Amino acid sequence: MKRLLFVLSLMFIASPAAAADKLTVMLDWFINPDHGPLYVALERGEFERRGLDVELIPPADPNDPPKLVAAGRADLAISYQPQLHLQVAAGLPLMRVGTLVATPLSSLVVLADSPIKSIADLKGRKVGFSVGGFEDALLGAMLDKHGLRLDDVELINVNFSLSPSLMSGQVDAVIGAYRNFELNQMDLEGRPGRAFYLEEEGVPAYDELIVVAKRENASDPRISGFIDALEAATQYMVNHPDAAWELFIKGRKDLDDELNRRAWRDTLPRFALRPAALDSGRYQAFAEFLKRRGMIESIPPVESYAVEGR
Amino acid sequence: MSAIVKPLIVFLGLMCLWQAAVSVFEIAPFILPGPIAVIEVAIARADTIAEHAGTTLVEILLGLAFGTLLGSASALMMAYFRQARSWLLPVLVVSQAIPVFALAPVLVLWFGYGIAPKVAMATLIIYFPVTAAFYDGLRRTEPGWIDLAQTMGASKAAILRQIRIPAALPAFASGLRVAAAVAPIGAVVGEWVGSSAGLGYYMLLMNGRVQTAAMFAALFILAIMAVAIYFAIDATLRRLVAWQPEADPATFS
Repeated sequence: MKRLLFVLSLMFIASPAAAADKLTVMLDWFINPDHGPLYVALERGEFERRGLDVELIPPADPNDPPKLVAAGRADLAISYQPQLHLQVAAGLPLMRVGTLVATPLSSLVVLADSPIKSIADLKGRKVGFSVGGFEDALLGAMLDKHGLRLDDVELINVNFSLSPSLMSGQVDAVIGAYRNFELNQMDLEGRPGRAFYLEEEGVPAYDELIVVAKRENASDPRISGFIDALEAATQYMVNHPDAAWELFIKGRKDLDDELNRRAWRDTLPRFALRPAALDSGRYQAFAEFLKRRGMIESIPPVESYAVEGR
Repeated sequence: MSAIVKPLIVFLGLMCLWQAAVSVFEIAPFILPGPIAVIEVAIARADTIAEHAGTTLVEILLGLAFGTLLGSASALMMAYFRQARSWLLPVLVVSQAIPVFALAPVLVLWFGYGIAPKVAMATLIIYFPVTAAFYDGLRRTEPGWIDLAQTMGASKAAILRQIRIPAALPAFASGLRVAAAVAPIGAVVGEWVGSSAGLGYYMLLMNGRVQTAAMFAALFILAIMAVAIYFAIDATLRRLVAWQPEADPATFS
């Protein structure tokens, strides 16, 4: 009798309610307000409603997520448009299927009281960068516009310590600091910064955060469901920003601090209001920019690495 | 002759296995490039990689030098001063227990982004092996020799110089061998956390640009450098401690 009850109870635990499609999504960084729409979608059941069981995973190494997707170990990754161009040029079978943040977030930051008043003042200074990849193309373009060259500055890889290295004065400027995050972080530490915005200084505008999938999976219906959910969540955030914040920190109490609150407020106007929509001209223009700066050798057709999300 | 041929055969065998694995499993080149691709890139970028290799080599050698000096000094102090022993021993253990990755950002914040934090990391990583080995050696001097020296009226300093230190050299050499093997780790970890030159820096940069073959080329050179340093130090030590009897269990019947 006991054995029968035991087996019956096992059957109840094991039976799924409705088989939802699993989707692993690798984030680009540890959880921060840039991922607002993802978590709002999660909390509002937008994924569930579309039959998706989404798992959001922060990466150990920010360089990994696109490689994992290309290798088939994750379904989707949040990545960066500039990186996508480089990765596709290196042969990764990736496809952009949506946009999360539709403006650049990266910027060149100096301390507010720094003598550097324009890009031209960077001559002979130390510039810290993070992660590695295309920062010299971005910085090179900005320096170009002001008549300088890359070897007029000293580039130092400071890895994750963008704000600390700048605040401690070990570098004179950092590139790759996010205008919504690092600027607020420095302000809260009492050493405010000043940003030079890339798209205002000679770099073509680009999507900072995009959703990428393995090229052969790009037309998977799960992905269009995912992007659809993202749009619903972004809509909700625009209409109910305070309620959306509460959903973002629900069950993630360690995110409820002043820095994230300020970053939330600053990121809100930058989310893609139409995550599925693709601006082919923007991707083409950025690819041409990278080719001009010698970062890539050839420009494949945009449709081979970017499609509309649904 | 076989000292060179056998390792060469092993090396070539591993290369073939690597190429076979990449071809058979159709591993994507951005995950694991084949040895031929890596060698091609290594040759194409020989000058850049050589420059970075030079920087890392200097960091490793300086780290070895400082670590050995510091380690020997600590070991001598611990052997001769009971107070030094009780204070230094916990520091010694802690220096080994803390993962260097955790210390690296702190060192960079203190020393800046120049060569200092990398040398500090390499020094830190070899401090424990060198000190522990030398200290052990100093303690385990054959008591009969000390007694003999004392009956012959030798001073403490003379005993140290003529008996303890030479007797401790084999143990010290073991510690140095370990140091030679791990010093490159310290230098590279230091570079990962903040640098503008060096093989570790280059590997990070190539990883970010998805140029995996170049990353592996730098890794290759780093490995060759580490092996070369190890064998150079090993050969030097064997010459220094040439009087030590070798009773190889394999040949001794």
